[in-house]
Amino acid sequence: MHAVDDVSLEIEEGAIIGLIGPNGAGKTTLVNLVTGYLRSQAGSIRLVSSGGTIELARRPPHAIAGFGIARTFQTLRLYRNLTAMENVMIGMHPRRRDDTLQRLIPLAPLLRDEDKRLEEASNLLQRVGLDPDRDGDRRASTLSYGDQRRLEVARALALHPKLLILDEPAAGMNPAEKDRVRALIQQLNAGGLTVLLIDHDMRLVMGVCQRIAVLNFGRKIAEGSPATVSDDPAVITAYLGSQAQKSAAHVPGSEEMDIVGEKAPLATTEPAMPLLEVKDLAVAYGAIQAVRGVSFGVAKGEIVALIGANGAGKSTILNTLSGLLRPRAGVARFAELDLTTAPPDRIVRQGLVQVPEGREILARLTIRENLELGAWARRDVRAAHREIEGLMEQFPILGQRRDLPAGQLSGGEQQILAIARGLLARPRLLLLDEPSLGLAPQMVDTVFEVIQRIHNEGVTILLVEQNALRALEIADRAYVVETGRILLSGTGSALRRNPEVQKAYLGG
Amino acid sequence: MTQQILNAIFIGSIYALFAVGYTLVFGVLDVLNLAHSAVFMLGAVITYSLVALHGLPFLLAAIIAVFVCGLLGLLIEFVALRPLRRRNAPPISALISTIGLALIFVAIVEQATPGTLFGWLWQDGANSVRFPSGSVPNPTYHVGGLTIEGTKLGILITSVVLMLVLGYVIRYTQVGRALRAVAENRRAAALLGINVDRIFASTLFVSSALGGLAGLLFGLAVSDISPYIGRDQVELKGLAVIVLGGMGSIPGAVLGGYLLGLIEVLAFVRFGSNVEAGVAFAALFLVLIVRPQGLFGARLRERL
Amino acid sequence: MDFFIQLFTNPIGFYNQHELLIAQIGINAILAISIFVTFYSGQLTLANAGFMAIGAYTTVIMSLYLPTPLPLDMLIGAVLAALIGFLVGLPVLRLRGVFLAIATIGFVEALRLGVILNVPITGEGQGLKNPSADPLGGIVPILASLPVLAYLVWRLTQSRLGQAWSAIREDELAASSNGINVPVYKMIAFVIGALIAGYAGALETHINFFVDPTEYGIGRTIQILTFAVVGGTTNVLGPIVGAVFLTALPEIVRGFAAYRDVVNGIILILVIIFRPQGIVGRGGLAFIRPRWWTRWRAPERPASAH
Repeated sequence: MHAVDDVSLEIEEGAIIGLIGPNGAGKTTLVNLVTGYLRSQAGSIRLVSSGGTIELARRPPHAIAGFGIARTFQTLRLYRNLTAMENVMIGMHPRRRDDTLQRLIPLAPLLRDEDKRLEEASNLLQRVGLDPDRDGDRRASTLSYGDQRRLEVARALALHPKLLILDEPAAGMNPAEKDRVRALIQQLNAGGLTVLLIDHDMRLVMGVCQRIAVLNFGRKIAEGSPATVSDDPAVITAYLGSQAQKSAAHVPGSEEMDIVGEKAPLATTEPAMPLLEVKDLAVAYGAIQAVRGVSFGVAKGEIVALIGANGAGKSTILNTLSGLLRPRAGVARFAELDLTTAPPDRIVRQGLVQVPEGREILARLTIRENLELGAWARRDVRAAHREIEGLMEQFPILGQRRDLPAGQLSGGEQQILAIARGLLARPRLLLLDEPSLGLAPQMVDTVFEVIQRIHNEGVTILLVEQNALRALEIADRAYVVETGRILLSGTGSALRRNPEVQKAYLGG
Repeated sequence: MTQQILNAIFIGSIYALFAVGYTLVFGVLDVLNLAHSAVFMLGAVITYSLVALHGLPFLLAAIIAVFVCGLLGLLIEFVALRPLRRRNAPPISALISTIGLALIFVAIVEQATPGTLFGWLWQDGANSVRFPSGSVPNPTYHVGGLTIEGTKLGILITSVVLMLVLGYVIRYTQVGRALRAVAENRRAAALLGINVDRIFASTLFVSSALGGLAGLLFGLAVSDISPYIGRDQVELKGLAVIVLGGMGSIPGAVLGGYLLGLIEVLAFVRFGSNVEAGVAFAALFLVLIVRPQGLFGARLRERL
Repeated sequence: MDFFIQLFTNPIGFYNQHELLIAQIGINAILAISIFVTFYSGQLTLANAGFMAIGAYTTVIMSLYLPTPLPLDMLIGAVLAALIGFLVGLPVLRLRGVFLAIATIGFVEALRLGVILNVPITGEGQGLKNPSADPLGGIVPILASLPVLAYLVWRLTQSRLGQAWSAIREDELAASSNGINVPVYKMIAFVIGALIAGYAGALETHINFFVDPTEYGIGRTIQILTFAVVGGTTNVLGPIVGAVFLTALPEIVRGFAAYRDVVNGIILILVIIFRPQGIVGRGGLAFIRPRWWTRWRAPERPASAH
């Protein structure tokens, strides 16, 4: 399988180019190839400058940095225990003369050099929107998430790069912060910096890039101006949602929506006697406040969806409900069980089962063994075995290959396995974390069919999804989560028609 | 020569048993338990003490010793490992805390002489002893020109049976599956309702029991029981074995154990006893450089 | 307590009475510095005892068979250790975390069991007699070298090289993207560590009449590791403090001298659980984070993994 297959891309000097595509499309892989972290099997990567052409392929990362290509990381890689200033100053490394031997004896000229570097670092911090006096000497890990992202950009800028590659620089930021990122990129570009931007936020990418390339399954499927790309049918299918539904979403109250089916919700307001009750939940990772006071409920028999952008805090909420994280404040109750203190295995035994993001299939175990583990929490071994047989019949994909390692299944098949495994635990409430993540459109259809089917059989579901469209179609009620807070709530259909939601999450 | 091969098989069985315990913990907990060799030593010491100082029959002493070593495994988990997990400490901390426990265990035995605090456990201080003659039933069999001692045969049978049982449990039982689940993906295992802490404790119990058993078998086979048999004889060889076989792989540990036994014996035959010791480390070095994941280990890649 | 009383009221007398201890503290402090350098660059290397052995044996063998002056012997011992460090480092430094530790342990034991115990010139298992040892005079170079080395290593950590080491320690992959040639800098740290350890080995033979091969095994390296852990590894003072404290401890608390290892073990466990940054340090040992580490810990950022 090719992570990046025959991709050609040209970035001219002074341009801002965007690179988009669904998860797993190969965007970060491409960046890793360019910056030397991965080795390509074929093809070339060339840096063209007034001095000549340099072949970059198969050079180590530090050499590529030496040529003036700086990057940030999708997963945010700061020097966490060093201060903000120290982080930025390390970014200057290739530009700095090696004065190691001279430094053995501290002399005045060296101290002056040091002062100049400190001043430049301070300026860089300001440029990205940080306050050097307040944050300069703080350890990077103590900064807020948005500030950490900014710091990483400052560190990259310290190289005085010719090309700056930003890998999801705005992940987890609210719209105001994203606007600031957009302004910063434009500013830097105005100063002559070439930028390659990868991000999921369409508003950001379309708003700042001059040209956009689209990857899917490792191949480039489109390239052009923002307008061209957003109208390209291949792009729409792959990325933004299927054709019919996208146009439907643009027209409030249109006939097409009725074709999809107006779902009669079980409840239009918060349930009175919820199966799951969450109030004022607040969860933090160190200094990062991921969830800031969230309240919602799920009644028996409902499908409730939590939608929102990447990094909004949805998965954090689910992980807290499953007992993997402990909240800083707030209440989470499942029937009689206090989820904020119960151990994770007890929560599962009580019937709150999560199908995690990325499926977390046990790849080295066979399909059958994965299913058998799904019944771990149960006492009734024989009934469980019967159900396993039943599930393998119900989902022939699983039954046919029952003795193969689960790692050999495709993404969609793994998702079905994960859901089947979750069902075996006899859940009273099933938490689904991003079931459609990284799946091809046809598989997404299949997965949502499965979700609908099990719901019809009576399973209560709390669904977390980035794919707002599909989630809102299937949900009775939904909540929109953004930067750790609930922004809107309502029935699935109401939210689908809500213009705010459409603008932000349904594409365009 | 065949006699030597037999020796290789016996000593290989012991290495394999020891390494399986080592790799079990590494595979499931991602921790290199450096106290394992100290438990190995204590297995021998406790059995000796029960037989020579307190007069118990060998078999009973062995069973008790193995059980006590299992309990020591729980001690390792609760004192050296769990507090670190609770504090989200990096894996190197576990390495160091197990080193600390090993230091303590060895020092206790080293200092134990008649009349001291631990005189009931051991009375020979830093010296090496062997099981008193007659305390261990040891019929010898002569088969086709070969001399097979009953004890060595017992070692072989015990090791093989245990490894088969362990293999069966891990492959075919629900608990074994849970172990494999925790080894592969702790988070997914927790979400399946597996009590990960309890799995850790059980793993440490079994692993240490195996280590203690290997130790007493070693003391039996080689007639050498001292506070240093863990550190000098087996700790680094155990590392060599699990690196050779692949860290976290049980079949690898078994294969590696026998392989090392074989290599050592061949080196001894060819070059004499001096080189024998260095062979294990040369092998270790080579494997780490040429194929760090060992024979059965998986390649490890980092996400960017 | 009379230990301290004497230290402060009668320093000269204290010195005279505890010369050997002070010399040993000095050696251990220098060894601690040698492991500090590699720790500072994020590498858990446990080969120091091996490099000590190289420095020690080379020095003594040269002084026994060659007419060269002693300081030259010691210098060559240290340089040889550094050279072997370079050769060993070439294949070994690509390894990370636990694997690196194991490989370096393997080197030490292979050296001891395979080479030292088998090569006649080293006296094999019997060790070497060193008639030119000077227990009293030998302290001077030790006490003189210690502050110099500490200063030099400190200055290194404040330089561009030291900055690169910090970056590597924190995040190797990010360091690459900042233009830092990670393999080269790691090697530099490793070789410097070997040099200092070799030098310490050479110094130590100067105060002993006898070179004992059992001194240079894995036990010694673990002892050095303990100094670093207990003292703290964020700046060069940490391991020195650890070395002083742990070497002097059995003297201070006389009653427990026999159980020294038990005490060391307990201290080690307590420190690593309750104060992992050590006596002096701020960040402590938090640098060794192999791949599998990131999976269990809840992600440090809200963005979901793709």
